[in-house]
Amino acid sequence: MTGAHGRTLVRVEGLTKAFGATTALGGVDLTIHAGEVVAVVGHNGSGKSTLVKLLAGFHSPDGGTVDTRTSGGSPTELRFIHQDLGLVGSLSTVENLALGTNTVRPWRRLRRSDERREARELVRRLGVDADVDAPIEMLSPAERTIVAIARALRGWDELPEVVLVLDEPTAALHGAEVDQLMDVVRRVAEHGAGVLFISHRLDEVLDVADTIVALRNGRVVGNLLRSEADYARLVELVAGHAVEELDRRDTGRGTEVLRVRGLSGGAIRLFDASVHAGEIVGLAGILGSGRDDVCAAVFGAAHRTSGAVAVHGREVAAGDIRDSIRQGVAFVPGDRHRHGAVMTMTAVENLVSVLIPGATSPWHRVRRRSELREAARWFDACGVLPAQPEMELTQFSGGNQQKIVLAKWLRTQPQLLLLEEPTQGVDVGARAAIHRLIVDAAERGAAVLVASSETKELAQLCDRVLVLADGVVVEELSGSELTENRILHASVPA
Amino acid sequence: MSVASTAHHEQTDSVWRDLRQLLSFRNISAIYIWVAMVILFSVLAPETFPTLDTVRIVLTDQAVTAVLAIGLVIPLAAGAFDLSIGSQLGLGAILVAWLLRTQGLGLVPAIIGTLAIGACVGLANGLLVTKAKISSFITTLGMSSVLLALISWVSQDSQILNLGSGFQQIANRQILSIPMSVYIMVVLAICVWYILDNTYLGRAVYATGGNAEAARLAGIGTDRVIIVSLISCSLLATVAGIVLSSSLATGDPTVGPPYMLPAFAAAFLGSTQFRNGRFNILGTIVAVYVLATGVKGLQLIGAPVWIPELFNGVALLIAVAVTRRRSSRKRARSAETTSLTADQAA
Repeated sequence: MTGAHGRTLVRVEGLTKAFGATTALGGVDLTIHAGEVVAVVGHNGSGKSTLVKLLAGFHSPDGGTVDTRTSGGSPTELRFIHQDLGLVGSLSTVENLALGTNTVRPWRRLRRSDERREARELVRRLGVDADVDAPIEMLSPAERTIVAIARALRGWDELPEVVLVLDEPTAALHGAEVDQLMDVVRRVAEHGAGVLFISHRLDEVLDVADTIVALRNGRVVGNLLRSEADYARLVELVAGHAVEELDRRDTGRGTEVLRVRGLSGGAIRLFDASVHAGEIVGLAGILGSGRDDVCAAVFGAAHRTSGAVAVHGREVAAGDIRDSIRQGVAFVPGDRHRHGAVMTMTAVENLVSVLIPGATSPWHRVRRRSELREAARWFDACGVLPAQPEMELTQFSGGNQQKIVLAKWLRTQPQLLLLEEPTQGVDVGARAAIHRLIVDAAERGAAVLVASSETKELAQLCDRVLVLADGVVVEELSGSELTENRILHASVPA
Repeated sequence: MSVASTAHHEQTDSVWRDLRQLLSFRNISAIYIWVAMVILFSVLAPETFPTLDTVRIVLTDQAVTAVLAIGLVIPLAAGAFDLSIGSQLGLGAILVAWLLRTQGLGLVPAIIGTLAIGACVGLANGLLVTKAKISSFITTLGMSSVLLALISWVSQDSQILNLGSGFQQIANRQILSIPMSVYIMVVLAICVWYILDNTYLGRAVYATGGNAEAARLAGIGTDRVIIVSLISCSLLATVAGIVLSSSLATGDPTVGPPYMLPAFAAAFLGSTQFRNGRFNILGTIVAVYVLATGVKGLQLIGAPVWIPELFNGVALLIAVAVTRRRSSRKRARSAETTSLTADQAA
């Protein structure tokens, strides 16, 4: 597709928007052609969301133009898929696709079979074989996104000039699901639509885009063809400087901290592992491989059907989280909003929310001054910005929230650190900072277990990676064998 | 020297900022409304409203509502509803009279027995919510009906009179011409405030209300927190019932349910005050008295009898609407501040 674009569908010129004294967007130029996937990348706060909101007409621009007419003069329609997809979870795909189509005669009798046929065709055209009668909430996150795309593209045949705008569509998706979605995005472009793809995940952008626009501080700092771009170049553009690669010095293994024997529960079957002090062990695998069930089962937060977990030779019982914490186990869950933090409380309240059993009784008086002093130290150590510990957690950016959640557990001085997707939804700068914190913890003698869908992260961070498939470890990689390719290769069951 | 003086400047600046924040209309709107109402009613009813008697009557009348609302704040903070507080107050009121008069128990055993049964109701609510996993809304709605039946059965639907002067003294004895019921309320308010605001237990309650799963994974026994908060609420509702029977000198089977709505209105209105949308004791007490001042003022200028119901209902709706609006605005603002701060950081 590269180079041979179709007609111009949308032309954005000099788009500018300021909030108060801060320029959110300063003179952005952007062109989308038919059949082209244009990716916009940037940190949180680089102006990506402002751009989407201006295109959607949510804000009006202070300057510049958005021209939504093709070179031929016919109008282009922009269709948006926002992060929360706007689907009704309890209704089926068929019903969701039909929503809003008969507003003219709401009392008209439903033609279920027609609706079902249309829905099935639409979804199949996107190359997905989902059950169109199942409630949306039963579908995987990727399938849900695809249904949202199908809905946005409804009636597209009669109206060929469409630009699909996807705002961070992969934020909630895991590795294999991302691939599924990327296929759909490419298919949509092949059918002649333009796609504007907003993301901060650089590798997937490199995967799908024809043209990449990098934003920093509201300005376009790079407008590259796919062939001109590589990962390092994008990182440099987005961050404004080259982000130093993580250097792990080999600290050698200490004593054995974690020993897991025959652990089953969730998707995992008879999982064995041993992690030593100072060691970072990764857990890889596709969605459903059991990768995401290990940490919670080891921590005792999820049900175990069998097996034994011991930390420093002492049994960690399932279901007794206070006991796990007492034995020096820390668990940073993958879903920050649902499991990781109390978003409505302040940063400092979250930071000190893990009571170290034995050290503080619940009747203990809260000492606000010393808490704030401690928070200031952690904010400094983890580089949390803005340095306002009394701000509610929701008001921090995703990367800073994640640093606070990590700090909350590092504060307990864990012997064993269990991490799920530690850098999900986090920009490049914060990602490097979080990796640094993890490595520091390991160098101080913690044993670390990291489950991640990002193979690049695992290859950079870990001493050893266990690859899971169908609930069992199928490969163990370390040293020179530990590469992204080997992980990917082992993840996919033959 | 100059460094020290800038530091000093910054400090005074931040003190000013804190003070402005503290006194802002957003933070303490109820107090401003209170002052406005006092001035308004003093002008409209100069003979009857601005008198010491009115102050004393409002203070005393609302002690029971305030105790109930204090109790309600605890489960609300932990993320659980208690719709049975009105019936629990009624149960406390009738049980203590029944134990004293019909069963002929002494004052102390009667009160202890009533509190114990009240606690059992709370425990039942707590177990149904945490173990049977019925939502607190439904659990306590069902419980309130069960309790009404119990009240009716115990009392045979008639008042229980002649409770003895010792029992009446509990609420009515006056110190500095203020009845005991007010002192009881103040002491309970201070205790609950201290626990919710100043101990890790209180933190655990708010964390459970904010995100129960995250709290559980941080090692907080969230089931226990919910059970204990529902028991505390039941105990306070029972105390409110005992105080009410004592001040009326009667066990009346119909007194409970009308107290529920004012307590909810006060707790929700209170959550819009002082603590930025969090349920809190000080805000709740202020809200109880702001609402009562409004009702009293309207009565004194000759408003019809249905005014209190209307006033409380509208106040509850407005309070909840304000909270919702504020939190959605905060979300919108936070999206923008994150981009601003990230820009500054870069």
